[in-house]
Amino acid sequence: MEMSKHDMANDDGSPLREIFRDRVFNGIHQGTTWQFHRYGINCKLSGSVYAVSEIEGAIPLIHGPSGCAFHQRLTPRKMYAPIYNLPCTDLNENDVIYGGEDKLRDNINEVYRRFHPSLIAVLPTCVSGLVGDDVSGVITELDLPCDLLHVPSEGFAHRSRESLDMIMRDYAESWKDPSRSPAYDLRGCGHEEVMFSIVDQLMEEQEIVENLVNIESFGRFTYGFRSELREIKHIFGAMGVSVNLTLPTCTVEEIKRAPAAELNIVTRNLRWAERMKARFGNDYIRKWFFYFGLDGVEKFYHDAASKLGLDGEADDAIRREKTQSLQELEKYRNIFARDDFAVSTQGFFFTPYLARIYATDLKLPIKYLCVDMQLLKALNISEETIEVMITNMQEAFEEWDLKFEVITNPTLDEMSEIAKKVDHVLSDRITPPIYEKGGGVGVTDISATRYLLFRTGFSGIVVFGKYLNRELNTGKTGQNHREPIISRFNYDKIYYPMLDDNRCSASREMWSGMWSMKSEGCDNNGRR
Amino acid sequence: MDGGKFFGAFRASSGITDAVVLNHVPVGCNWGAAIFKTTSNQFDMRHACTVMHEREIVFGGEDALREALIRADELYDTPILLVIAGDAPSIIGDDVGAVVNSVTLDAEVMWMEAAGFKGSMRDGYEEALTHLAGLMNESDMIENSVNLIGFSPDDFKVDADVKEIKRLLRDAGVEVNSVISKCSLEQFKKAPAAELNVVLGQGSKLAEHMKIEFGVPYLEMEYPYGLEGTTQLTSAISEELGTGHEPEFDIEPFKKVYLYLHELYGTPVSIIGDFHAEAMANFLNWELGFNVEVSARNVDDYFEFEEGVRNSNTTILFGSSFEQNIARTLDIPLIRFCYPVFDNVCVYDDAPYAGFRGAVCLTEAIINTVMSYG
Repeated sequence: MEMSKHDMANDDGSPLREIFRDRVFNGIHQGTTWQFHRYGINCKLSGSVYAVSEIEGAIPLIHGPSGCAFHQRLTPRKMYAPIYNLPCTDLNENDVIYGGEDKLRDNINEVYRRFHPSLIAVLPTCVSGLVGDDVSGVITELDLPCDLLHVPSEGFAHRSRESLDMIMRDYAESWKDPSRSPAYDLRGCGHEEVMFSIVDQLMEEQEIVENLVNIESFGRFTYGFRSELREIKHIFGAMGVSVNLTLPTCTVEEIKRAPAAELNIVTRNLRWAERMKARFGNDYIRKWFFYFGLDGVEKFYHDAASKLGLDGEADDAIRREKTQSLQELEKYRNIFARDDFAVSTQGFFFTPYLARIYATDLKLPIKYLCVDMQLLKALNISEETIEVMITNMQEAFEEWDLKFEVITNPTLDEMSEIAKKVDHVLSDRITPPIYEKGGGVGVTDISATRYLLFRTGFSGIVVFGKYLNRELNTGKTGQNHREPIISRFNYDKIYYPMLDDNRCSASREMWSGMWSMKSEGCDNNGRR
Repeated sequence: MDGGKFFGAFRASSGITDAVVLNHVPVGCNWGAAIFKTTSNQFDMRHACTVMHEREIVFGGEDALREALIRADELYDTPILLVIAGDAPSIIGDDVGAVVNSVTLDAEVMWMEAAGFKGSMRDGYEEALTHLAGLMNESDMIENSVNLIGFSPDDFKVDADVKEIKRLLRDAGVEVNSVISKCSLEQFKKAPAAELNVVLGQGSKLAEHMKIEFGVPYLEMEYPYGLEGTTQLTSAISEELGTGHEPEFDIEPFKKVYLYLHELYGTPVSIIGDFHAEAMANFLNWELGFNVEVSARNVDDYFEFEEGVRNSNTTILFGSSFEQNIARTLDIPLIRFCYPVFDNVCVYDDAPYAGFRGAVCLTEAIINTVMSYG
């Protein structure tokens, strides 16, 4: 696990500053990478490299040609901290013909000699996968004073386009009925394969310790992770619950002892947690979208307490934390209540629940909720799924008695008209620069600070409220007279912030079409 | 660590600035090649891939390639599609040539086999250029003109360096005909019109090919870093073409920082990189008076380089973004000058590292880096 200067300097206890620092120092790399996902996706191998790099004392060993290790050093999930120590078996034509197992054996020994790691994680590539090298066999016969791990990470077994579409649709179906939350994973992301492998190959049977939990994390990749973790530990501590470790951001020895926890808190994929449950009996709880917001966070801790057999016992602690946040939030709510708001947001897994935080927790008097569904098209989400999302979102708002008008994919002109009818326009996505084109719509950018709202804790919403109050008082939200350089470009009408440029649009369409063809049940045009 | 043959072929091919590169590979190879290319030119999106998936691995990728060719021809406004077949199709035995021949497209199509495991990045670059030479046309010679060979579109400072070298040659009465590989298809095709090919570090196979096919002689020169390196380049070209130019440079800018240069004299440094490294080491050694303690190429054993640097007195490291870890560990600054650079951008094309102006910019960068480091 690499520790940068930013990591060390970034822990002064201010959650807001942490968010902005992460946004600037991570975001400058990560944001670009997400935009490049319009033209392709990264290798499964890079997800595995990332996950292994989070394990302290682990070295990933690429079993493939040097080119794989060359570019996997820059893994999309960790663009801010390239994986510099990434040895490789450097397979050549001879190895493709005769097999690379001997070379793998030699390289594992060499990696141990050079790095003396706690763990060597062997990551096969397309080439070693096609050649058919028996990685597990090689690992089994070696006797080294460190742990060895085999992670199936061959790049051609990546996820298909339809997996995200199906998950998105299932999410939309479950917005009103959370019991229908999707229970399957994004296949082939590489991270999942590492998690599953460490459960199967590293973890050891432990005596389960009561009220001990493991938390799946993405480390610095999640903006504001450190202060969120502090709060989670604080709330759990008040409930009499201890955090055992964060997975996979921990040591190898900690991973081995992970089964001592009574409960796993799952952030992303379920498969590893299910495997732990089957192997070691550890229960799990997944952080779903419905755990967002003050009531959602309260429910999360109640559900976790219930899983830990603390029903009733933890109630006081949870209530105390929530009440304190509500009291702190009250003054901001009163200020917000004086004005009218429009909020510009994007359609995604969590959209209705995020809107509910604005309207219910922060009590923003929202007149218009402007939802951009175009991003979903860039992710190859089908028109049918987008329709389901829009319908179900509207129904959820009606059921929750949220009175704002929902406007889907507003144009710049429409946004301009909306802005005239409210006191403030907030945007939690990356569009504010385009709204400033020609001195247009004045928008308060909350795209970075919205990360405070997704936390498994109450204080993030309070910090957000305080920040928003300060921003609204600066008078920035009126008609804007700036002309930022990025507002002067012409952008694609649908895929903002992609430039209006034939090369970009053709490459995007090319990727979208070719990727669609890889979906099961699709014809060569990506149609089902 | 070397990037392998596929990367080299991709870099050479994407240097044809109006071509579209169609990578016949799984998603990861396509992503990897592109991510280094686009750091400093984020809208230069002229690549696509056939998205080889498990289905193609089992049943072959020829259908996917055919479909991709047809789609690319429809979508892109390009005179040529350059297909690069990587590791997976090489192993499973896709007949790329047959697929290419089976489709009739508006754009010209050229394909090359470049499995990463079959050679180095340099091999891929050289072979791709030689392959592309099949597109060149016999042309009437343009007197006192040269082609500059050895560039890639994702080289650090490439635009500024090319601009500076062109300026210097223009002053010497020499016109640059084509910059390879950083030119349009039309310019590439007309490369045989040059009186002389100048190979700067790589591309010698193309130069040899052009000598045989088109009778264009060539010079192999080091990349023109520093006053001396630049003088050598312009003098050699001038002598070869008989333009009789004596290059002149101005050392006045260096006077402004002469005391800093005194303090930096004798600084122990280490350097690693592609073909640029040797020329850079010469500048640092001969002209700034640094002591180059460890010097290595990308194809050398990286661990040995790293160990060498650790065991040396190195106080400034010169290399690519990959060297940041060593620099950070040793708490010394890193000056990035060669591929891949993914944590610095160079968008201003009047601040080169090559040429006389480049010597000034480079010196400025070194001094600023050192002064702001402590």
